[in-house]
Amino acid sequence: MVECISASALSKTYGDTRAVDRIDLSIDRGQAFGFLGSNGAGKSTTIKMLTTLIRPTGGSLSIFGVDALREPLRVRRRIGVVLQQPSYEPTLSVEKALVKYGMMWGVPRGECRRRAERLMDDFDIADLRRKRNEDLSIGQRRRVQVAREFMHEMDLLFLDEPTVGLDPEARRSMLDYLKRKVASGLTVFYTTHVLSEADYLCDNIAIIQKGRILASDTPAALKKRLGRRKTITLRTNAGEAAVADALAGVGECAVRAGMGARIIIESAQPESILIEVLGRLSRSGIKMREISAEAASLEEIFLETIHDASHTAAD
Amino acid sequence: MHPILRLINRNLTVSLNPGFLIWQVIFPLIYIFVVGYAYTSLIPGVTLNGVEVGYPAYLATGMIGFNIMNSTLVSGLIIWNDRRHGMFEQIMSGPFTRMQYILANICTIGVVGTMSAALIVAVGFPVFHESAEFTAYTAPVIVFAAVVGSVIFGSLASIISTRLSSSEGFNVVINTTFIFLAFASTAFYPAEGAPEGLATVFYFNPLTYLVDTIRAGVFGGVTHLVLAEMAALSALAATLFVVAARLMTRLDF
Repeated sequence: MVECISASALSKTYGDTRAVDRIDLSIDRGQAFGFLGSNGAGKSTTIKMLTTLIRPTGGSLSIFGVDALREPLRVRRRIGVVLQQPSYEPTLSVEKALVKYGMMWGVPRGECRRRAERLMDDFDIADLRRKRNEDLSIGQRRRVQVAREFMHEMDLLFLDEPTVGLDPEARRSMLDYLKRKVASGLTVFYTTHVLSEADYLCDNIAIIQKGRILASDTPAALKKRLGRRKTITLRTNAGEAAVADALAGVGECAVRAGMGARIIIESAQPESILIEVLGRLSRSGIKMREISAEAASLEEIFLETIHDASHTAAD
Repeated sequence: MHPILRLINRNLTVSLNPGFLIWQVIFPLIYIFVVGYAYTSLIPGVTLNGVEVGYPAYLATGMIGFNIMNSTLVSGLIIWNDRRHGMFEQIMSGPFTRMQYILANICTIGVVGTMSAALIVAVGFPVFHESAEFTAYTAPVIVFAAVVGSVIFGSLASIISTRLSSSEGFNVVINTTFIFLAFASTAFYPAEGAPEGLATVFYFNPLTYLVDTIRAGVFGGVTHLVLAEMAALSALAATLFVVAARLMTRLDF
């Protein structure tokens, strides 16, 4: 694979505050890279450094093999950026804003018109073409903002929480559009708070907290490596009290009332507990009606990783 | 197309809405044809370099300078709106340098200022044509005034828009500054009739130098004083442009 972004010990400090603390990144071309973190973790500062909007206070950064600190303009000619904050021309109509943005990038007027038509269809904003940007809802404006970035050619697209304000249908449609673009060779750097989006879209993920990268891998590998807890749910034909009696003293399992008692095992080694639970239920004459197992979600891994890092720092 | 030209094209599209253009024509028309003739009984005529011109003609030529200043508000508004609506960051993450962005704004102002000047020359011509003495030497003086005046007031508006973050603050400062510049100048009335202190203030105001230059271009009489005023305008334009450019390059994201 050919490297697209290569950052080494990249840092940004504001006075005494280290917004980004010596992070390393290596992102191959043609992949979707998810960058996850809590509010104020350093995601947007990192994006602003990678897009050459702000200059790092330390480290090195190379994009497409170009030294981004020395030749930022060469980098910016090949990237697209959808920043976290809305950006729009309030008095222009949606259609005119798209066409003008393309022309600003040097795309010929005729080609701009064709692209604008295609993008308005792809992002389901054709009905809004005559509406002024200032009259759009937050979600509509966000769709226009993302669509607008596809008015020009690029090899790398940065998206900072692009789905904020979108309804589930528009969100899925946008993610599918991005997936198609990634499949056709575009590299995407994607930050979000909605972890299921990162799971759906991204080939690789990094988790950042307090300016430092805590973990970085494929979503599957992260789940395998960091997803310590699995959940096994059993549904029985007996009441809550009878099941609780039968399982008294078994750790890491909880009994909840439902249509028959529900037993939930949350553990790093749920299999051994399951054997113990099944044995006790059998001895008590309680029959099992349903069983299901669930691996840790990306959200749980994210929360655990952040939690562990906070505790390590506190220690 | 060069990046600066692409940005100018974009700037003109976002800033020249019909409302602005109507305002640019209606406002001076009211001044020239309503105020100009209504005040003739108070200010019957003004002597410029030994030539007596009627007050409407005097005011019409002052309105050229005033309109250049007024139209250059566009510059401050472009930067202000770009910052407010996220377009400044968006443009700066694209294939443009900050210097290109600044130059494009100044050029936009130059285009708008020159168009405004041409518009008022056309509209006011019936009023001042009897006293006008355009020559091959004086006509370029008007173009010089339009360009240099645009740079001065455009840079000033840019400086204000980079220093203030609240829209209330921006509106108060920009309106106060421009009203002061408009009325503490010789754009509307001659300095001779004003109290001495106020007349002195007039000559600390670049709009006074600008309208003096424009009147020299329209009515003839490019004297040593006018040449000195042109030199002062050039120096001020260069200084304000450098300050505006420096402040723009320091703008944080």
